[in-house]
Amino acid sequence: MELDFALFIAFSSLTFMTPILLASVGEIITERSGIVNIGIEGIFIASAFAAALTAIITGSLTLSLTAGVTAGALIGLAHGAIAVYLRSDQIIAGLAVNIIAYGATIVGLASIWGVHGASPRLEVYMPTVSILGYKTPLVSLASIAIAVIAWYALKATRAGLALRACGEDPRAAEALGVNVNKTRILAATLGGALAGLAGAFLAIEIVGQFTRGIAAGRGFIALANVAFSGWNPLLAILGAYTFGLLEALSVYLQQYALEYAYIAKTIPYLGTLTIVAIAGWKARMPRSLAKPYIKE
Amino acid sequence: MRLARSDIGLKRVYPLLESLAALIVGVIGGFIVAAALGYDPVASISLILLSGLGNLEYLFSISMPLALSALAFILPLRAGLFNIGVEGQAYIGALAAIYILSLGLGFPLPVILAPLAGALAGFLIGVLKVYRGVNEVVSSIMLNWTLFYTVSFTVSRYLRDPLIVHQSVRVDRMLPALEALILTLAIVIAVHIILYRTTLGYHIRVMGSSPEALKYSGGSESRSIIVAMTLGGLLGGLAGTLQVYAVSGFIDVTMSAVFGTGFMGIAVGLIGRATPIGVLPASILISALIIGGHRLELRLGAPPELADVIIGVMVLALSAPYALRLLSLKLWG
Repeated sequence: MELDFALFIAFSSLTFMTPILLASVGEIITERSGIVNIGIEGIFIASAFAAALTAIITGSLTLSLTAGVTAGALIGLAHGAIAVYLRSDQIIAGLAVNIIAYGATIVGLASIWGVHGASPRLEVYMPTVSILGYKTPLVSLASIAIAVIAWYALKATRAGLALRACGEDPRAAEALGVNVNKTRILAATLGGALAGLAGAFLAIEIVGQFTRGIAAGRGFIALANVAFSGWNPLLAILGAYTFGLLEALSVYLQQYALEYAYIAKTIPYLGTLTIVAIAGWKARMPRSLAKPYIKE
Repeated sequence: MRLARSDIGLKRVYPLLESLAALIVGVIGGFIVAAALGYDPVASISLILLSGLGNLEYLFSISMPLALSALAFILPLRAGLFNIGVEGQAYIGALAAIYILSLGLGFPLPVILAPLAGALAGFLIGVLKVYRGVNEVVSSIMLNWTLFYTVSFTVSRYLRDPLIVHQSVRVDRMLPALEALILTLAIVIAVHIILYRTTLGYHIRVMGSSPEALKYSGGSESRSIIVAMTLGGLLGGLAGTLQVYAVSGFIDVTMSAVFGTGFMGIAVGLIGRATPIGVLPASILISALIIGGHRLELRLGAPPELADVIIGVMVLALSAPYALRLLSLKLWG
């Protein structure tokens, strides 16, 4: 009985881990190139909306996921281009992404479905594999694989080295023949695409529909995880799983301690804050993070 | 740039022209979203822009908490810190105000005591940054959500209106509009004096413009961070206090009376170009857009969040002063 409960929580944590992990890996790639995108929250919202709309219109899971990834990639691209070419303050630009995505998707809810709160239920389902009798989404397993691949690519490939050089010392990177601006925009687009997949997963698998402000702070939990991991995709798996565990516990307690549901809802946020406060923000961030590269 | 260094007059006008350019970009953004999602863009955007200006008293009452939350954002911003936690500080300030007022305590106790709850939240963000290195943006958002649900819990359990579910008790005696206005103006002036006429403000500004220079100016980085965030929290708490004490009179478990106070304050602070005086006209502009959004819902059935889109695009434009300068040179140069 207790083992069953532990396994149930362990496997639901895997599901809740997935969007955090995908977005964290995307943000690690973006940040190691020198761009910080705090608009992950907005990308979650916009891509969840795109995925939900596509799922309802076409009924196709593939198209729905594609729509989510595309929406995320486009926002990542736009944020990257604005950061690089317009030399924006990347924190403020990221906040703007969040405000615009929140507002525009509510306008969309009203215009398309005539509601202000939530879209109809989605009728598409993620493929799952059964592990110890627990249905686990394939994307959850894929997200771990993606983290491992990103870790290897950043550490051991030429492209990964070039990307990290852009985030550490863009002038030296340029001297070695790396196109800093192009690399940063590509990294931001890839980061956005991963956050977009995360947003689609959130709408399809976790919530089952689009709801206003669907991300509910998860984008910032991913940002906390990026620092927690020390910009290392492998450690991000551990961090994301821990944050997933907090959410799994929160959801469980909301159902079984109704009177204290509001208190249970604070668990992921208070837990994240406690974890980053105890772990500290020690790891060194990329040296040229959030600084525009201006050629002389 | 083409601007001559000696041309002080033009230089003063520049921030204004840039904010105007941002408004134009924001309106274009709202226009595109409205058209793309099937609303009449001309009718809906002109309603948002103009209909909020009809009732001046209402306009001012909406703008006062926003001016305060903008101050809560820009004071730490001048030290290079992003107080995204104004939202949560406003929630807890509003809750504290409801509680203090429910005890029968009248002016000025609510506006003195309730903001202390927000100050505590700001202090925590500052301490976590100084001693644990926790990025203030992340700790702010985590606190915002924690405070959101904590306030919901407290309202539903301890401060519930006996007749209306999910709603807090009502404020018996609201703060008259004139007194709220005088209070807001006094705080704007106080923040102006702190920033430009005190050693603390000097250290805050030095830290924001060149952190390396701070120790040569005799300031301490740790102390500046904690003081700036605590003051930011205090102002955020006061914004929430005024939101219930001068505008709504109650809060509910979805925080609808206070929701957005902090985030809109960010927009107000940026449009006011991070200066206390600039916050005043900016708060009126943003309030007009927010009220315009609600009129839009009443008249055309389009969601008020269209105004949020315009404001968000304005913030995006203001994130890139370099690009904005080029744009305003094109428009008015």
